[in-house]
Amino acid sequence: MLNQIHYGFVIDVSRCIDCRACLVACRAENQVPLGHSRIWVRDSGLQGSFPDLSRTFIPTNCMHCDEPPCVEVCTSGATYKDPATGLVLVDQEACIGCGLCVEACPYEARYLDPQRGVVDKCNACPARLERGDTPACVATCLGGARLFGDLNDPESDVSKALAKSGGSQRLVTAETDPGPNIFYINGDLQQAGLAPRLPRYTASESVWRKAAVPFVLAAITLSFLGQAAAFTRQLLAGEKEFDE
Amino acid sequence: MSHDDYVPLAERRRLRTKTIKKHNLANILTHWFNVAMWALLLPTGLAILSSPRIGLVPEIWQTLMRNLFGGTANLIRFHYSVGLLWMIVLTFNILLGFRKYFLPFSRERMLLDRDDVEWLKVKPLQMLGLARGRPLPPQDVYNAGQKLYMYAVIGGTFVIGLTGLIMTFHAYIPWPSLIQWALPAHFTAVGLVVAGLIIHIYMGAVFPEEKEAFFSMFTGTVSAWYARQHHAKWYWRKALEEAEWEERVLAEGRLSHTTRPEAESPLPSDARMT
Repeated sequence: MLNQIHYGFVIDVSRCIDCRACLVACRAENQVPLGHSRIWVRDSGLQGSFPDLSRTFIPTNCMHCDEPPCVEVCTSGATYKDPATGLVLVDQEACIGCGLCVEACPYEARYLDPQRGVVDKCNACPARLERGDTPACVATCLGGARLFGDLNDPESDVSKALAKSGGSQRLVTAETDPGPNIFYINGDLQQAGLAPRLPRYTASESVWRKAAVPFVLAAITLSFLGQAAAFTRQLLAGEKEFDE
Repeated sequence: MSHDDYVPLAERRRLRTKTIKKHNLANILTHWFNVAMWALLLPTGLAILSSPRIGLVPEIWQTLMRNLFGGTANLIRFHYSVGLLWMIVLTFNILLGFRKYFLPFSRERMLLDRDDVEWLKVKPLQMLGLARGRPLPPQDVYNAGQKLYMYAVIGGTFVIGLTGLIMTFHAYIPWPSLIQWALPAHFTAVGLVVAGLIIHIYMGAVFPEEKEAFFSMFTGTVSAWYARQHHAKWYWRKALEEAEWEERVLAEGRLSHTTRPEAESPLPSDARMT
């Protein structure tokens, strides 16, 4: 549906100076515990050879993917893709902090909050969106590198920036492309060495999926069939008028 | 063993109407409390399990339960609240009735003896249509199959409870890998108990020969005839207890008869008074 909201970020890497005001704003807005962060600024390091040197700073956070591996792996649906906005969110009241999603995320965009025992990540500041503001990192970005808005709305900041840029890049590889919704403009990501990793699945998840589920299904099927056979025999035999 | 022998009609008639107590009230209440907890926990637990990678539970069930309880978080809250109640009541029952119910029950009704081992060898073969000629050894108050299922239920309940507590109190568990392993353990334990539960419900509530066992879970009693046919060892022990009791009462009667002076009169005492 075209008139549905599809939130996404557009990041103009040419405008990021690595001031990290976004990290501070995010921490303040979302009470992110020290030692963890919901967002980052990656550094490509010095590129090229003297005198043709360049250095790129690449702001990142949760990519709010179209096909998020974290949602696929979440046991209870505590992590879900909001159908109304396209954002990938964590219902922290439902999360039990098992961390399967932390392993699965190819962008390492999630962390386990040790205080609360739940997973935390960028949720695009829903309270700010509710009152018509942009997320804290976007509102605070001095250079205007971080942009946020509805990718389906041609009048939004992100759509206009994308249209003007004449080309965008996403952090994907041939192996890992969960459909990230951060579009990078005005810079070359290929040289920055920020390729997403493959989704990781814990041993417990593999054992569960590959061994426990077939085993339990076989046991239940067997027991059901045994019961069904006995029941069929019982029906065929019919009921006795007088039973001892 | 004599339970295979011909029983005369009058004796059969007597046994059919005579009842023997099989379950005490504590057992009956604990059983139906467990039933209620399973009825609440299994549907909600299945609905919570929504990972597309596991992909077991139909989406319609996940949505139905989430809408019924008001979202994932409330569904989980309901599930672990009922689970906590289950664990608290079971622990309370075991502690409160440890000497009076738990120890005697474990000692007298749960241990496997040589006959049970033989039963486990013969019964599966007979169910497959083999070894028809081999006699089934007599069984105690629970047969060996029931005992094995009881072990599965007790072990399963322990694993389900422990892993459930780990997940409920996840905020106090410093090792995420423990929570990660609690998930498949919880799932597997529930799955195995459910596999047994299907047979348990069929045998208990539908299978015609065990009809009495079903009603005994309400009344606590079975007919002596049923006990003799299905649980001969227990029946004959009960019969012996009863014979000993009769013997004791008769002995008391004889004792009082010989020591009372008026007993020497040829007439009964009340007859003399009139």
